[in-house]
Amino acid sequence: MSRIVPFLEARKVTVSRPIEEGRLQRVLLGITLGVDEGEILAVVGPSGSGKSTLLRLFNHLLEPDNGEVLLAGKNIQTIDPPTLRARIPLVAQKPFLFSGTVLDNLQASARLRQTQLPDFNDSALQELLELCQVSPSWLDRDARKLSIGQQQRVCLVRSLAGPCQALLLDEPTSALDRPTADLMAKTFREIARQKNLAIILVTHDLRLTERCSDRVALLIDGSVIEDGATSQILNNPTTESARTFLLSETSENRETPG
Amino acid sequence: MSATIIDLSLWDLVTAYSLLLMSIGLAHLLKAGQSKDLFWSGLRMFVQLLVVGYVLHLIFALKTALPVLLILIVMVGFAVQTIGARMKMKMPHFYRVVGTAILFGCGVMTFFFCSLVIGLEPWYDPRYLIPLAGMIIGNSMTGASLAVERLAAEFRERQDEIETALCLGGSIQTVSEPAVSSAFRAALIPSVNAMAAMGLVFLPGMMTGQIISGTEPLIAVKYQIAIMCAITGSVSLTTFLILRLGYRAYFTSYQSLREGC
Repeated sequence: MSRIVPFLEARKVTVSRPIEEGRLQRVLLGITLGVDEGEILAVVGPSGSGKSTLLRLFNHLLEPDNGEVLLAGKNIQTIDPPTLRARIPLVAQKPFLFSGTVLDNLQASARLRQTQLPDFNDSALQELLELCQVSPSWLDRDARKLSIGQQQRVCLVRSLAGPCQALLLDEPTSALDRPTADLMAKTFREIARQKNLAIILVTHDLRLTERCSDRVALLIDGSVIEDGATSQILNNPTTESARTFLLSETSENRETPG
Repeated sequence: MSATIIDLSLWDLVTAYSLLLMSIGLAHLLKAGQSKDLFWSGLRMFVQLLVVGYVLHLIFALKTALPVLLILIVMVGFAVQTIGARMKMKMPHFYRVVGTAILFGCGVMTFFFCSLVIGLEPWYDPRYLIPLAGMIIGNSMTGASLAVERLAAEFRERQDEIETALCLGGSIQTVSEPAVSSAFRAALIPSVNAMAAMGLVFLPGMMTGQIISGTEPLIAVKYQIAIMCAITGSVSLTTFLILRLGYRAYFTSYQSLREGC
């Protein structure tokens, strides 16, 4: 498949971080990676490989030292950060809900994005709830008393209830049990398909990757060592370090049933 | 009412200091570990106030504006330094933010109060300007340090909430609102409590001082009311400025939370 200009793309991005006085650690080493509308890109790799740092570049929570991030060909640094983040929300690893009910959360999000407050009877909201498998009966429940899986779903609805063009997911299933994570994978697929969203998913969960992503980028020590179709990368990795990582993750998953 | 002021002799002061010795003794008895602090603070107070007494004596005699203004600037400097020394975790650009806010907030309020409320003639009359500015700066310093401390705590505690709101497209002003209003409330609590309890629970220092030095109680009361309004105004203005300038310091130029704040 020829990929000319991806919808959301990091181009040759380099990020360093201060570790101690005067010393910098290079976290990302000239990465180029992109995702198209309606496509799910899974960025997998061991802890500390720079996955979350990479994700935070896409909605300008971090700035690269070198290189650029482009949205529909436009450098995101030319877009007002709140406007950009309203279009490319990031759902954090640990779901954080504001105090109040689920509806309060949706309304708070609308206020932050300066969009219209959602209405209970709004058909678009009903569709979104259905898409994310959030029961309308949760709307008037205390958001922080929902289970972690339910909270994660509410976070999804909250992020999508706006002018969303892409979605960034940071380890979205790390706190979930296996069946819930599998359901989530299905939800992500539906979201990408129905809303034609570009989704970047950072995870070390290979099962989730296999079940929902179209493409996989394998990040090790700040470099993308493999990037391609999911089945190809997971089944026929070309590099030795990719094989080692995939093998270690697969055996780890087998050791932790559930 | 004729002003008959009882001057204190050196012996009277020594007698007063015996009360401090009693405090040192009690601290020692309870092993509170404060005997040394009490001793040195007592000594510092003696030396500092003696120096201030002589400086004021000199400035009152000079009757020119420049030394008065210099004293006020030194007071602001000490206020900023005191807050800085007290803070364990300083906000980014701390001295610039707090210095500007105290200088501007207290400056505006002192001159508003002295020229429009009291109508000082000349405007720099040190007998009024220095003690009034001292009260305004001192109280604003307390308010400012409470605000700075609370703002830092709020940004620490609300990190997840603020980052979530940023990720949904909130502006830094909107996402900081809860932290900023909580810090403003914290700064104003002493002023609110002082005004509510005044006259019932305690007689305020300035009023007491004026009464002791022979001022008619009703005049002293009017002064006290006016200065409390000025103090509250100054605490609010200084805190407002600190918070307006200060919350931005927690964010990068591209509106994300700074790390390690």
